[in-house]
Amino acid sequence: MSETVRVIRGERESAYLVAEEREDGSLLLVPAQSDVVAVRAGAGDAPAAVAPASVVPTTEAILDVDGLSVAYGDQLAVSDLSFQIRRGEIFGFLGPNGAGKTSTLSAIEGLVKPRSGAVLLDGIEVRSHPMQAKARMGVQLQATSFQAELTITQIVRLYAGLYGVELSAQQISENLKEIGLGAEADKRFKQLSGGQQQRLSLYVAVVHSPLLLLLDEPTAGLDPQSRRQLWTRIQSIRQGGGSILLTTHSMEEAQAVCDRVAIIDHGVLLTADTPARLIEKHREDPKVRAVAHGEVTLEDVFIGLTGSEIRE
Amino acid sequence: MSNSDATPGPPLKLVFKSLLRADFEVFLQRRRALVVGLLLPIFLLVTTRGDKAAHQFDGAVFIIGLAISYALLATSVLGYALTVSRDRERGVFQRLRVTPAATWTIMASRLTVQVLVNLIISLVVVIVGTRIHHISPSIGQYGLVLAVSILGGAVFLSIGQALAGLVKSAETMQALARVLFAVLILLGILGQTGALGTFWSDIARWSPVGVVMTLFAGVLQLSDWHSRETFSILACFVYVAVCTGLGIRWFQWDTR
Repeated sequence: MSETVRVIRGERESAYLVAEEREDGSLLLVPAQSDVVAVRAGAGDAPAAVAPASVVPTTEAILDVDGLSVAYGDQLAVSDLSFQIRRGEIFGFLGPNGAGKTSTLSAIEGLVKPRSGAVLLDGIEVRSHPMQAKARMGVQLQATSFQAELTITQIVRLYAGLYGVELSAQQISENLKEIGLGAEADKRFKQLSGGQQQRLSLYVAVVHSPLLLLLDEPTAGLDPQSRRQLWTRIQSIRQGGGSILLTTHSMEEAQAVCDRVAIIDHGVLLTADTPARLIEKHREDPKVRAVAHGEVTLEDVFIGLTGSEIRE
Repeated sequence: MSNSDATPGPPLKLVFKSLLRADFEVFLQRRRALVVGLLLPIFLLVTTRGDKAAHQFDGAVFIIGLAISYALLATSVLGYALTVSRDRERGVFQRLRVTPAATWTIMASRLTVQVLVNLIISLVVVIVGTRIHHISPSIGQYGLVLAVSILGGAVFLSIGQALAGLVKSAETMQALARVLFAVLILLGILGQTGALGTFWSDIARWSPVGVVMTLFAGVLQLSDWHSRETFSILACFVYVAVCTGLGIRWFQWDTR
């Protein structure tokens, strides 16, 4: 890590060190004293350029989860979980099935009442001020379901209104054209393809330009083209200054896209850091080495930490 | 440091307007169900046209009351409760709940549209019924019919809400709602005719369908208003209070 790269953003100039130079020419940039801020990767369906310098995350926390515990009856789904998400950051929340990812997201979204702990969004306590907090977040649930009888235009108008955004018919039409759904304006949600549904769900989630976007497995079931398109949109949301918390089972995507990732299992946070640092930290871990084939990847670290057994 | 006082959530008026508009659009899409729901009450009115049939049912006004009660029960239990149950299972409520809309606005909007539907149904049945049975209610009586429609609709909606609260699965709800619907209607018809004996006749009279029928008949024949009609109003409020309490206490927004 010796080469220095200077990045100019407006009138500011920042220095970054090249943490890694990959075979495909991509660079992993690390600011002198902070986290990884820019990854250029091109593997598989992951985006080719995911973190332009103009969207370097700040150290200011937009979301602060402190000692969060969620239980369903006697079953503890999340236990004493703490983490922060910074402004302009893409934060990956990784874990096997049933690890507690969706429960954590549900607590942040205000869908479940935590047993203990606090969630602060932009300084607002989510439990005591749910409406103000929800107005600042956009949510894409794992399985989005809009009213089956409504057309796409009607869905957009409804959800924009719920976030306090009044859109005229012309504005809705133009916005739908922008996301490639202009011809589908009068169709029902179920009549759209998987990729189109995902685009609409994402558009509805960000119709009010939220400070924090929560995405629960946004790429599940999408073809490579739709995935690529989705990541491009997520990047543009981040460039607009938003922070993103996402869950995914694709380690390749997480490694390529996320500024930082947290790995959770059995409701407990196992580790959280930049993908590069996690790999570095656990490179020599025997459990990780045992599952790695060649160069250690984030997936190797994930499986090493959470085990190889299949979860239901 | 808290930002909670800095920027409030979206304006309540806009939130409610958006929900109401969407729920009305959903209703318009389901208007065929409304028409189908009106067919049987109108069939009942037509087939009981003769004096003999009307006499068996304690007079024409009771038949009109029964027809309206049937229609309100159908739209509230088979319509409202089933839709709530299905939307919950599909995750529609979860999607709405992650927005800044207060949960009471989500339900209030649906109930407002349902009350409007109940009023339309009641008016249609009363107009058709009075024409067929040659009754001439005054404008004031039409007003009272609308008032009783709201109260009667509230009784059946609260039963629907209680069902939605107590039964989680949409499939179970569908089966149970149909059974309940049949039981209440049969109790209303057979109990009223006295075919099941005095005991069942008394039960039928104070059943949800019975008290609503009594009220509709009462406002269409004000000269026969007695203490039974007055107590029927009280019974309606008791049904609404108990069933709404059950429906709110046990209601869950998701099926988890």
